[in-house]
Amino acid sequence: MMQEEKFDEKEKFEIIQKYSNWKEILKPTTEMKKGFYSYSATLRDQEYLNLPYPREWNPLDKDWKLPPNWKEIIINKMDELRKKYRSFQVFMDICVRCGACADKCHYYIGTGDPKNMPVIRAELLRSIYRRYFTKSGKVFGEWAGARELTEDVIKEWYLYYFQCSECRRCSVFCPYGIDTAEITMLARELLNSIGISQKFTLISAAACVRTGNHLGLNPGGVVNSIQYAVDDIKEITGVDVEVPVNKKGAEILFVTPSGDYFAQPHWFTFIGYLMVFHELGIDYTMSTYAAEGGNFGFFHSFEVAKKINQKIYKEAKRLGVKWILGGECGHMWRIVHQYMPTFADDTYADALKVLEEPVNPVTGTKFENASSTKMVHILEFLADVLKHKKLKIDKSRNDHLKVTFHDSCNIARGMGLFEEPRFVLREVCNYYYDMPDHSIREKSYCCGSGGGLLADELMELRMRGGMPRAMALKYVYKKYGVNHITAACAIDRAAFPTLLKYWKLPVQMGGVTEMVANAMIMKGEIERDTDLRGNPLGEYLEVEV
Amino acid sequence: MSLLGTVVGVLIPYTAAFIFVVGVLYRVFNWSKSAVPFNITTTSGQQKSLPWINRTVIDRFDSPFTWWETAGRIFMEVFFFRSLFKNVRYELPGQTAVNTKWLWVFGIAFHWSLLIVLLRHFRFFLEPVPWFVMAISKLDGFLEFHTDYFQPHVVNIMITGIILLAALLYLLFRRVAFPRERTLSLPSDYVALILLLGVVTTGLLMRYVIPVDVAHVKELAQGLLSFNPPASPNLHWLFMLHLLFVSTLLAYFPFSKLMHSAGVFFSPTRNMANNSRAQRHINPWNYPVKGVDYDEFYENFKDDYEDIASMGYVVRPEEEV
Repeated sequence: MMQEEKFDEKEKFEIIQKYSNWKEILKPTTEMKKGFYSYSATLRDQEYLNLPYPREWNPLDKDWKLPPNWKEIIINKMDELRKKYRSFQVFMDICVRCGACADKCHYYIGTGDPKNMPVIRAELLRSIYRRYFTKSGKVFGEWAGARELTEDVIKEWYLYYFQCSECRRCSVFCPYGIDTAEITMLARELLNSIGISQKFTLISAAACVRTGNHLGLNPGGVVNSIQYAVDDIKEITGVDVEVPVNKKGAEILFVTPSGDYFAQPHWFTFIGYLMVFHELGIDYTMSTYAAEGGNFGFFHSFEVAKKINQKIYKEAKRLGVKWILGGECGHMWRIVHQYMPTFADDTYADALKVLEEPVNPVTGTKFENASSTKMVHILEFLADVLKHKKLKIDKSRNDHLKVTFHDSCNIARGMGLFEEPRFVLREVCNYYYDMPDHSIREKSYCCGSGGGLLADELMELRMRGGMPRAMALKYVYKKYGVNHITAACAIDRAAFPTLLKYWKLPVQMGGVTEMVANAMIMKGEIERDTDLRGNPLGEYLEVEV
Repeated sequence: MSLLGTVVGVLIPYTAAFIFVVGVLYRVFNWSKSAVPFNITTTSGQQKSLPWINRTVIDRFDSPFTWWETAGRIFMEVFFFRSLFKNVRYELPGQTAVNTKWLWVFGIAFHWSLLIVLLRHFRFFLEPVPWFVMAISKLDGFLEFHTDYFQPHVVNIMITGIILLAALLYLLFRRVAFPRERTLSLPSDYVALILLLGVVTTGLLMRYVIPVDVAHVKELAQGLLSFNPPASPNLHWLFMLHLLFVSTLLAYFPFSKLMHSAGVFFSPTRNMANNSRAQRHINPWNYPVKGVDYDEFYENFKDDYEDIASMGYVVRPEEEV
């Protein structure tokens, strides 16, 4: 009895005030704690991408070898950004520090570090903005919450703007819609202007520019992956699936995040796409030039994002397709939905014009919501197909799974894709349960690894940041026995297995299309004895934790 | 007394009003001058996609597709603090989130009361008093209070004035008492609250404790509004204090976070429709960035491409599996 009481006391957790007043917060935190700071970009990647002031540097060193006039560069860049981005100026000016955003950040919940509160994260930049761009900051200095721009401030920015996954959860709760993702993106843009970038995002971004995908697979490598996939499908179902690659004149160009070609459990979603397309008999093609839907440049700067993204429209035009179908990915869809058409400049805007308004060749449905961008989400497509009963589905093939769906940040808060995945899942499995209200739809918690933070050196941050999501999952795991979590995001699929192992949740991770393909009865298939994962059909193999 | 009356009653209010108007216009002008490169709506509801996918009324303004729906979102945001209403508090012991509406309750109580109190003040400026001001005052003061102590006979308690004070005190209290809010508060946050408290306290004192001759106040207010102020107004000290607080607040307004009242209309995550795939948004400063063109890419991976061509651009399962 005594012991139990003690245990309860230990569980009680209160956030104590770490900084006694605002002056303490204005002092930069520069301690690069293991598990919380990112490695610096390699010289090779910086040079390949033509970034400003490429150099070898180390966050742990005292001297970051900044360019001699770095301060001037930052101030000028800030001035440029506030003219280019209304969001920047408005968000800097109107925050009232009500604190509604504070405990909405999964990193703040997980780390308890006040500087991870969205309001303070923005304040790190806002204090500099005040000092150099507002009257009150110039006159009252510290008393107006302004501070001088020093090298330590740069170090603090690097530390904290790479502890934000740009998930936008805070922006849902902010009464003025102040979006920390936007602030983080601009802060990273500022850091980039003096040659400070993070290793993980740049490796992927440079690989993507060079080879067309983040994994750095050559076109031959992509084809090999597809080869393995069709072999796998043949082994599981006995069906010969043919996958067109770089086929001119196809109706649809299919673009998916490159994680799907390679990683587990992405792979099962990948073969899922190919099975579904084959079964529907649609005229599509994959591309080795635009082999990547995701865009790690988006976590770095406008220019690198655009460098990577332009391949999609250019390839669509070259192949002469009518419209583009996009695979399951998070930030890819933030870009496709909100950025891609704005990227198209005079040099390739014609690519956008040659495309036609997307029409589902199987059902005849017009995707009016994509009439301008001409790119449709696979789950919109699948929801339409399943609504019209164009696939033969045997739900019982998924009966060993009790399924829940994790709304990935970007498709939730940057697109509003809530009902489609739920409809699809309910159509293909009998046991579907939603996680608690505060953790789904627009209030969904991030997996903790988005926004370029999937790096190994950030492991502690990622595990802490994923805690709220893991606890919400734990709730449905205990209550309904949920044993399979799905998400339409490649980063989620990479992040969750580690996260769930860390939080001791024996739940397996998968994609949505995998569920569809697993339940789908294909024409001419042999009697299936395994699911897409190669496990005996209808048997759940316990996940070790 | 009369010189002081001119300074406090005429010069300072005019100066403050001038700073307020010019300052706010300047800030708003600055915001509207900067570009909106991307459509970055925060979508908090189901998007418009397939025709049979149900979008509730809430989805329509949380994830607006048309201009009207977006206007609805801004309306809900401005008048009902829609986003703040969603507030949840994360509690670590249970690792759950609980709905918490306190900030919303006091926030909305404050803002609505302030609006009503401001409208009620029209009775000082306008002669005859418009009907809606009369109606509001009547409704607001439905609670009658009989006393001989402060003022003889009947006093109508103006509810909003009391709520305003209570809400402000709570908003100040949470900044002082809650560790997290104390951490993130800047001096300017207290300045705004203290100025408002000054305005409200002096106002309430005039109404209930130290009565001020309303005729003089009206004369001044109408004079100020018609740019024909009384030559040397004779003002009560408490009213002058009230006026000083109001003037300071007005002059402080454009330099402070109080600009949020205009800024909420400019917030790109709220005032843009979630229709970026149906209507192309143009980035005004978009410029070409050189990437790897297809031709260059082809040259780099010529062998691979030739292999793919020799496969007939189709990947098939291998014969022997």
